[in-house]
Amino acid sequence: MKIERKSWTDPVLIGSVTPLAAVMLFFFVIPLVMTTVLTFQTTQYYRLAWTWDLTIWTEIFSKPHYWTIMLRTVSMALICVVLSVLIAYPCAYALATRLKTYSTQIQILIIFAFLTDAVLKTFGWILVLDNNGVLNWLLAKVGFPPETLNLLYTPTATMIGMLYNLAVYPMFTIYLSLMRIDRDLILASYDAGASRLRTFFEVTLPLSKPGLYSGAVLVFVLSLGAFLEPRVLGGGTSPMASELIRQSFETRVNWPLGAALTIVLIVIGALTLAAFGFFTLRRKATKGGAA
Amino acid sequence: MTKRIAGNGPVMGELNRRTMLKGMGGLGIAAAAGGFPQGAFASESLNYMCWEGYNAPSILEPFQKRNDATVSIDLITDSAGGFAKLAAGAYREFDLVSSDSPWIQRMGPAGFCRFIDDNDFAKQYSDFYPQFRAPFEPLQFDGKATGLPTRWGWVGPTVNTKFDKLETWSSYAPVFDAAYKDKICLLDWGDWPIMPLVLYAGINPYEELDQAALDEVRTVLRAAFKNTRAIVGDLAVAQKGLLDGSFRALIGGGTYCTSSLRLKGHDYIQSIVPDPKDGLKQGIIWMEATGLIDNGKDSKVAADFLKYIVSPAVAKELAITDATCNLVPNQKAEALFSDAEKSALQMDYMWTAWDNSQFHTVAPNIDDMLAIWQEELAAR
Amino acid sequence: MPTPIIDAVDIVKDYGANRALHGVSLQVGAGEFVALVGPSGCGKTTLLKILAGFEDPTDGGLKIQGKDMRGVPAAARPTRMVFQKLALFPHKSVADNIGFPLKLQKVDAPTVKERVRAMLDLMHLKPEYLDRFPAQLSGGEQQRVALARALVSQPSVLLLDEPMSALDAKLKKSLQAELKKLHREIGTSFVLVTHDLEEAMMLADRICVMRGGNVVQIGTPTDIYYRPANMFVAGFIGETNFLPVDVARKGDAATVSSPLVEGQPTDMPADHISPDLTDKGPALLVRPETIRFVTGDPEPGLWVLNGMVDEFFIKGSSTQYRIRVSGLDAPLVMDLPGSIVLPAEVGQAVRVAFDPSRAFLLSE
Repeated sequence: MKIERKSWTDPVLIGSVTPLAAVMLFFFVIPLVMTTVLTFQTTQYYRLAWTWDLTIWTEIFSKPHYWTIMLRTVSMALICVVLSVLIAYPCAYALATRLKTYSTQIQILIIFAFLTDAVLKTFGWILVLDNNGVLNWLLAKVGFPPETLNLLYTPTATMIGMLYNLAVYPMFTIYLSLMRIDRDLILASYDAGASRLRTFFEVTLPLSKPGLYSGAVLVFVLSLGAFLEPRVLGGGTSPMASELIRQSFETRVNWPLGAALTIVLIVIGALTLAAFGFFTLRRKATKGGAA
Repeated sequence: MTKRIAGNGPVMGELNRRTMLKGMGGLGIAAAAGGFPQGAFASESLNYMCWEGYNAPSILEPFQKRNDATVSIDLITDSAGGFAKLAAGAYREFDLVSSDSPWIQRMGPAGFCRFIDDNDFAKQYSDFYPQFRAPFEPLQFDGKATGLPTRWGWVGPTVNTKFDKLETWSSYAPVFDAAYKDKICLLDWGDWPIMPLVLYAGINPYEELDQAALDEVRTVLRAAFKNTRAIVGDLAVAQKGLLDGSFRALIGGGTYCTSSLRLKGHDYIQSIVPDPKDGLKQGIIWMEATGLIDNGKDSKVAADFLKYIVSPAVAKELAITDATCNLVPNQKAEALFSDAEKSALQMDYMWTAWDNSQFHTVAPNIDDMLAIWQEELAAR
Repeated sequence: MPTPIIDAVDIVKDYGANRALHGVSLQVGAGEFVALVGPSGCGKTTLLKILAGFEDPTDGGLKIQGKDMRGVPAAARPTRMVFQKLALFPHKSVADNIGFPLKLQKVDAPTVKERVRAMLDLMHLKPEYLDRFPAQLSGGEQQRVALARALVSQPSVLLLDEPMSALDAKLKKSLQAELKKLHREIGTSFVLVTHDLEEAMMLADRICVMRGGNVVQIGTPTDIYYRPANMFVAGFIGETNFLPVDVARKGDAATVSSPLVEGQPTDMPADHISPDLTDKGPALLVRPETIRFVTGDPEPGLWVLNGMVDEFFIKGSSTQYRIRVSGLDAPLVMDLPGSIVLPAEVGQAVRVAFDPSRAFLLSE
């Protein structure tokens, strides 16, 4: 490790950290504190009452359905992470190796798809997944009975929408990681006697881990906040945390409840990420330290 | 409470909310701050909080030109949310609001209503159907008028008569009928889908409910969810399903879902009001109203705008928009509608619906019912 | 030469419309140290990659240990490569890097450990480095780890692609000496690609000088230094002088003369004439250390040039002068042993002389 640990009193260090710290404080810490403060209030007649009590927290810990939805949200997010990485990795790999000549064009296409309004794209999936939609029409064309798949308004449809909207993140992070791998390392592995498959597992995969992890974290965080897909494609069959929070804020005009659910979601997300970080860091440590 | 998310509405609304939700940390603050409209500085400027439709250029522009005023719009996506925003202090920024009538009425007890002197609006009232003339009870608080009614309609099953007979839906029974399993669409519009189902259970949701009644609400919601294919927030998606027959009925919408389709020629789509059940009227009349906000300015232009928005010609503009078509309380405006528009608005049916309906207000136990809705949804 | 380990015949390599190698032949004997030398773009690295199996030749034959290498992937060849940027696996420890080829051969773990330790000793690396990662090592240590990884599976040929180009001069010198010693100790054939002829001369048994996808000359360092095939090879060796001459040939013999010098036409000894001599731009290769100042009459047989001192440098054990001579494009370079002799003034007129029969006749 070449990183030197500097003293907290180092003026250069403090000087360089202060702007970022200020931004984080203003845009992250202060809102979070205010959100937390909000959770100790109550609502009366659609107006906030500064009661400073635990009404909301009692409510949250006594009603299992909040936790059902939180649990569902986290498990949907984790499934989405696994599936999107499984989808994104081969795509990124093909882009970085096999399709190099077209990679610019393909990237531009992906970016265009990415920039297209997520709302439009999600609504577009209705036309594909509906019982009389494109997918079933295609299946009927190749000889399946009509309306084979009943996908729209199921959790599966939610997941498809989430994957479609989110898989592009790991695709790019993994692609960037793959592009940063020195071609000589692959050759060195071949030279040492490794097959292509062995080289992938010994060299390419471990070296693309930064992209894999950052992509996974992005997908996880964005999945936790997934709002559109469960609402539009899930049709109420897979309510997730964001919709619950929106309902609490808007429909029930219960800001303390919404704030508390937000805090719960943030804590669950942070704990999951911490566990993930702990796990990966510890594995690194047992391997003898970072390179 | 939450009502419709219609037409182009959801695209902007949902996206904003999505972005907001992604930055979870700032959620509370984002909601609290809301995004106040920036008043433009013409000779006179109005800050106007309203549902989509009221902001149509064909409505705003003539007024702005004539009065040399600027109207800044803040669109409501949720009536309760809009009210909460005003109540949290934003009322100081706004001059006018067009929202669901219970929320206009509630500005009275909330203390930021600029009450209307009915005498000043005598001419406007005289243009209205008799049912809406002063004193119009649903908008009264403490003997004073909180606003003027601007749009209305009824809530009842929206049916595609190509697939179902209207008589089938003379009651909400098919919602719970196994023959309609996975063919029912509940509109995800806050309290709107809850009220009809509760009425069907024989409970009047607009009265104070005891625990036994709330348990009954839970039972009826659970039974409805069992049979429901989807809970849909987007009007266009719900309408698409209704047209192609994958939804046999939309519950919780009514005329708001119907009239624009009818105007486009789908006149086989109808919203009706079920027959009274055990003496309990099963239909619901919803109404939007426009009220003045007491922000200390006592703006004359705002009062002029209120007169303007209920005038016959503007009422007609307000009735027929791209996304939805709705009835207006202005009797004089009736002459301005074409036959096609009258048919689209089901004008021949409107007083039948009126007679068989409850008038929508904020139910005393609405939060309990919404909580039950959330819980039952989570348990699906 | 006994049966060569590497036998490459007429190797042609095209990259699209570009021909990188125009029919190159090279034999490497068992235990031999061959250096491929040339300026960048000469095809030396391409040739090395073809030997390693990273590139397929467009045409030509390649046998390693008598076996045809056509279609044999890098992994299956008895060659191992040390890469220019070393290509150590950053995520593997030193032990895992070195042991990687053995692990792939399914050698059992204790044996791997033992052989990795042995390589570490051979490379003068401390045992505690085993658990470190490449980024924690110095450049020279990384170099040794790369060598160890390449040699641990005892390849018949070690291919080295300019492995020392990134090191500072001092470290380079000491590693070069170690590499030479290592080669002598283990007896594996080495093929080294370098653009540094000095390095090649110091290390290699034979040097293959390449230019533009062709082999210009293959020979021992002595051959290359004293009997360069042409001005390209000679110029590549280091600072030297080319004096354009007129050549009169009679069979193998040649008589040279020059209007630029005071002196008689001279017959060149046969072994001072390049076998590749053509009549295109013939010149005498005059080494800096063979030129002397003259005062008064020179000895007979010497050629004398008149010029003036352009610049001089003290190089420690010798002093270098650059003499501007009218009629010559570049200043004449001469090295005199010892520190400052005379003349020591820039601009001073001088006479210098050399023995043409000790020079070497070659052409472009």
